[in-house]
Amino acid sequence: MSLLSPIICDNGTGYSKVGFAGNSDPSFVFPTAIATRGPASQPSRSGPAVPSKPGHLASKRGVEDLDFFIGDEALANAKTPGYGVSYPIRHGQIDNWDYMERYWEQTIFKYLRAEPEDHYFLLVRDQHCSTGLPDNLSVQTEPPLNPPENREQTAEIFFESFNIQGLYIAVQAVLALAASWSSNRVVDRTLTGTVIDSGDGVTHVIPCAEGYVIGSSIKHIPIAGRDLSQFVLNLMRERGEMVNVPPEDQLKIAGKVKENYTYVCQDIVKEFRKYDAEPYKYFERYDGEHSVTGRKYSVDVGYERFLAPEIFFNPEIYSSDFLTPLPEIVDGVIQGSPIDVRRGLYKNIVLSGGSTMFQHFGQRLKRDLKQIVDRRLEASAVSSGSVQKSSGVDVDVISHKRQRYAVWFGGSLLASLPEFYSSCHTKAQYDEVGPSIVRRYQIFGTAT
Amino acid sequence: MSNVLRPYLAAVRSTLTAALTLENFASQVVERHNQPEVEVGKSKEVLLNPMIISRNENERVLIEPSVNSIRLSIKIKQADEIERILCKKFTRFMMQRAENFIVLRRKPVKGYDISFLITNTQTETMLKHKIVDFIIQFMEDVDREISEMKLSLNARARTVAESYLIAFNP
Amino acid sequence: MILLEPHNYIIQTTLAEKFTKPSSLDVQFVDFDGVRFHLSTPERKSALLLSMHIRCWDELVRYGAQEVLQREYGPLVQAQPEPEYNVSLVIDLDTAPPEGEERDNFVKSIALLKRNALAAPFELAFTKQKELESAGDGQGELTAIHYRDEEAIYIRAAHDRVTVIFSTVFREETDRIFGKVFLQEFVDARRLPTIQNAPQVLYTNRDPPLEIRHVPGLRDSEDIGYVTFVLFPRHFNNPTVAAGTISHIELFRDYLHYHIKCSKAYMQSRMRHRVAEFQKVLNRAKTEAATSTERKTVTGRTLHTR
Repeated sequence: MSLLSPIICDNGTGYSKVGFAGNSDPSFVFPTAIATRGPASQPSRSGPAVPSKPGHLASKRGVEDLDFFIGDEALANAKTPGYGVSYPIRHGQIDNWDYMERYWEQTIFKYLRAEPEDHYFLLVRDQHCSTGLPDNLSVQTEPPLNPPENREQTAEIFFESFNIQGLYIAVQAVLALAASWSSNRVVDRTLTGTVIDSGDGVTHVIPCAEGYVIGSSIKHIPIAGRDLSQFVLNLMRERGEMVNVPPEDQLKIAGKVKENYTYVCQDIVKEFRKYDAEPYKYFERYDGEHSVTGRKYSVDVGYERFLAPEIFFNPEIYSSDFLTPLPEIVDGVIQGSPIDVRRGLYKNIVLSGGSTMFQHFGQRLKRDLKQIVDRRLEASAVSSGSVQKSSGVDVDVISHKRQRYAVWFGGSLLASLPEFYSSCHTKAQYDEVGPSIVRRYQIFGTAT
Repeated sequence: MSNVLRPYLAAVRSTLTAALTLENFASQVVERHNQPEVEVGKSKEVLLNPMIISRNENERVLIEPSVNSIRLSIKIKQADEIERILCKKFTRFMMQRAENFIVLRRKPVKGYDISFLITNTQTETMLKHKIVDFIIQFMEDVDREISEMKLSLNARARTVAESYLIAFNP
Repeated sequence: MILLEPHNYIIQTTLAEKFTKPSSLDVQFVDFDGVRFHLSTPERKSALLLSMHIRCWDELVRYGAQEVLQREYGPLVQAQPEPEYNVSLVIDLDTAPPEGEERDNFVKSIALLKRNALAAPFELAFTKQKELESAGDGQGELTAIHYRDEEAIYIRAAHDRVTVIFSTVFREETDRIFGKVFLQEFVDARRLPTIQNAPQVLYTNRDPPLEIRHVPGLRDSEDIGYVTFVLFPRHFNNPTVAAGTISHIELFRDYLHYHIKCSKAYMQSRMRHRVAEFQKVLNRAKTEAATSTERKTVTGRTLHTR
């Protein structure tokens, strides 16, 4: 059979991104949620829903496990009597394999309309969260990454239930690096670099050397999209903008403001002065409509335009328990990595995820990080008393157009390379070796 | 449990309990090695006579005792092609997870569907009669599970066929 | 979800979205049976070009696919399809029907592109049957559509029936055996009173049915099965019923394989559950010593054996 384009599946804790290789955007982005008959499964411990006993077969006719919805339809059916919504992935780990298997089943047959036997699959595994994040997320290093058994169970499902042709399990951060190849500033396709991945819940800083994640140096920052929206909301409430807005819409409005009006400034003091001098030039107006009554209202958008993303660089304006600015964390991560890859890590800092999309985010990060690095070089030159001077360290932050779904896009890019097929584990190999085959991990696609 | 099954399981239980008299035994062939003798098979004198407990020509248990280890292999009932494939799937699924089932062997002995290997370390750290319980429970449940799976497959197939054909009704 | 839907979901959602917000676009996607689609905006944002590649296009054209598509889509069909594709439609968002039901139907009809292309040989057979019926006797020509690499649909009209034969290949032994169980039920299901009106289903494993035994190049191996549907005039006398029958029967192979996969998934969940139960039984054998308590270092780290 002529090869059909591989399917890229990025199942995240909140949203799943699925689509075909070669496209620039996923075909579907929907919540990783499944609505099944019966009550929602209790968090993890109680185990999977008990498959029907033979006594029930006659009454239920044996196909009750096909009665479910996924994605947006699952949420739409949340209130339908008899259905319960559950989220099969928790903290990046598959928590309920039964639900996940059915989730994949419907993704493939209903949405993608693909015959899995004809396709190769590229799945994305989440490398940052192996044990589940503690509630009081602080900067912490992660011990072992996604355990191989998880990958083996995934392979078991895809090869045995779906008979797919081949499988490649990719690492998120590596795909984010690959996605940056689309930027015209990237000249050599390298898989060494630092990935800053910021979604809705958590921001991760992940160093990668030649396609392998340096797990011991990964750091997490408890500031991400959700916090930004909350911060915008706080600011607007304090200024009294939100009085006209119905309470249930407030967070949504804050989210809209965050997405459409914010940017990163180079100097916060100057920016304040600019706004005060010419408020009419810089203040924006947001017009909304009451979702129930249809009454129109409008709010002014002011300092939050540049203050919101500022919490990455000055977290003290938002939170009192997390105070380290993003550039310092990035610097710490790179300094914690092996010395021979540090140059490569500084030179190729790649942004990924929706919360890195602010205008000038990359420039600001680059500037701040460069300052930290230069200061250190100077200090070491002074303290060593040496007359020789360091040639300096290149710091570069890559922004590109596909940042929002960078991981998915990286997968799409890699899977359209001809080497993809030879790097996949094929069905024949799986039958020969068994699920443990996925413990082998092969990188490909680099220019070298 | 049917009345025919009971004596069979009882025989396996008592044989296995009697055979589970294991002791620590260092290898006589390689210095400072301690291996399950039943697997190595190098010293004939520490192997005991293997025995087969047979319920019928399709169902039997092979017990191979030795001084420090015992191997038990089960041939599961497979009446037809469907049961054969379900049995294969089930045992494969379980052996895939052999790491969690301390006493499970990763591969069955030839001619059998699933094998267990119990060594003296396991009888020392675990409750012996509970291990026997586990194996008996497994034998009891596996037959039932496979026939239930077969039933549900048939029921499913029927519903699927009906749903497809009923849609042709004008 | 028990039945598969005839229309393509991606086309439907993408078009609906573009109607409200036109923007440039270039995506490729697939449908069952190796059909490839390309949806793009080569000239301007409001003119979408939808191209389809279908494996058995040449055969379909011979059986009148071009006319069927012309009838369904009229001026939308491009005389010269996009290179590498078999058929192209241009959808102009500006001239499309206004919002509401009319537009929904329009979008839906576009999403049925694959279904309509594949419908041609069935429609041909249905008309042929009418002719033969008035003639009172005789048999139509055997049409073969090789819609997948190893699988084909054969259709033959007779004076009182239309016979549709699917050849289907099971790549794996489990699939083959599950498939057999399913197909046997298809054969048996007709005994039920509610399904008496359904087409008659016959199933043979390995041996091709009489109707196609003379066709050269049939595979002779254990993993191939032949499913025969005998459609009677009541299944296609009235145009709406005929349309439903076509949409339904086209998806037979995908339906079968979808359910084989679902059953395997279901078996997996059963086994997962059962194995967890066994694990619990075995865990009872563990003594306190075996489940040793977690040991911590001074700094509070724990040791794991992997």
